[in-house]
Amino acid sequence: MKKSFVFSGSGGQGIMSAGITLANTAIEMGLHATYLPEYGPEQRGGSAKCTVVVDDGAVVSPLPKQCDTLICMNELAYAKFIGDLKPGGMLVANANRIANPYERSDIKVIAVPVDDVALALGDPRTANIILLGILAGATGVISRMFLAEALKRKFGKKLAVLEMNIKALDKGIELAEDK
Amino acid sequence: MGEKRFMKGNEAIAEAAVRAGCRFFAGYPITPQNEIPEYLSWRLPEVGGVFVQGESEISSVNMVYGAAAMGTRAMTSSSGPGISLKAEGISYLAAAMLPAVIVNISRGGPGLGSIQPAQSDYLQATKALGHGGFHAMVFAPYSAQEAVDVLYEAWDYAERDRNPVFVLMDGCLGNIMEEVELPPMKELDEPPEWSLSRRNGRDWQGNITPIYTEPILEGLNAMAGEMYKSWEDDVKVEEYMLDDAEYVIVAYGIAARVSKEAVDTLRARGVKIGLLRPITLFPFPKSNLRNLDYSRVKGIIDIEMTLPAQMREDIELQVMERCPVYEYGRSGGVLLDDDGVLEAIEGFIEGGENNG
Repeated sequence: MKKSFVFSGSGGQGIMSAGITLANTAIEMGLHATYLPEYGPEQRGGSAKCTVVVDDGAVVSPLPKQCDTLICMNELAYAKFIGDLKPGGMLVANANRIANPYERSDIKVIAVPVDDVALALGDPRTANIILLGILAGATGVISRMFLAEALKRKFGKKLAVLEMNIKALDKGIELAEDK
Repeated sequence: MGEKRFMKGNEAIAEAAVRAGCRFFAGYPITPQNEIPEYLSWRLPEVGGVFVQGESEISSVNMVYGAAAMGTRAMTSSSGPGISLKAEGISYLAAAMLPAVIVNISRGGPGLGSIQPAQSDYLQATKALGHGGFHAMVFAPYSAQEAVDVLYEAWDYAERDRNPVFVLMDGCLGNIMEEVELPPMKELDEPPEWSLSRRNGRDWQGNITPIYTEPILEGLNAMAGEMYKSWEDDVKVEEYMLDDAEYVIVAYGIAARVSKEAVDTLRARGVKIGLLRPITLFPFPKSNLRNLDYSRVKGIIDIEMTLPAQMREDIELQVMERCPVYEYGRSGGVLLDDDGVLEAIEGFIEGGENNG
């Protein structure tokens, strides 16, 4: 079953890293995936977007017009991409930076103040891992176990960082279950 | 079995080049191909190769000329604007009959254009990579895996022909990450006999040179013409669901990925449609297109990520007005997408049925 995800926000919010981790995790789970980044000439602060397509078989087109799940980390990204979410799709919105994510009534909305949650956990950089946790909890496409494995591969040598990220992952899953 | 990795198209190209025996790279940075030089800057020294970030595109392509003259498997990569700067050097490589691989990860044009992906360099790649009326084989892979397969064989063609080989892939495929299976490291023979590294002092059997006197140059031009004709045997093409197709999409690279998805979607609705995908753009798969059954085929649909379509003339030469040729594309760094391509095809079919 083909599923498409668009991660959007600004450079520095971990958008690309979240997309790569999702694609990588899907592959570890025996699925197939493509990850396509799109960004301007800016590094930090400019718009950042990536598209991840996950499928049982090899991914044919990596360029869906409409996605099943849209993750928006700020207002600009929300305004730009909310129209690209399929009817019946799911929006994961950063409530700290998006004033009203409830404009569309034909989609499911999970709005979480991701910046606040990450700060409360102790590191604002874990915002993107909280998002992945939300995806694991809400979509079922990827599992906690494989995500935790991916984090171990990424942060294995820095135990404190790994621990913080696992906490963020579980917080995300918990938030998704509350919604 | 090969080794599986989740890699960017650009990185897959770089690793496949190393495994194919490439031991020299020179290039100058430009988006969207920067991961190729970035990767090779650490990877080539690991295998005893040399990486140089040149002071310009022109110096880089000429360093490749030097390395190729020594018989070293050498490569450069760039994107449209940089390829234009390298045009002189590519022409010199062809003149001096030197094998080398040139990769273009293309973006929107003309001019500095846009840094976003586009398929705007088809005409440059297939008709005139530089002055003087020469050709190089042009490969257009449509996935990271196919890029690996193409790069792995590229120098075999280049050395067979003593002619540069060109790889054309857009920025989408350069930046996409997907699974690839990597082949083993090639064991290379000695450098070719004609190369400078095999020559002893002044005991030369002729120079490696891009300049000739008149009768010799005419003879070389004629020989090159014969070589281009011989490439008809090297055509690579994928024919997807063509056996009963009433509509045939012709698309390469990223446009072929999106088109194939459209074929699957439309086939599920009972539409008899297929895809003819050139993997070599030069030699173009002329006979595959010419020999379609035009008593059945109602329309050819040219889909490219550039406006206007550039492959259309090559298509029309084979279709010879036996059915309509339609074209659809996006351009300037605006990407094709599944819905847009599907709607365009449905529009052509509907229009064609109404007129027929």
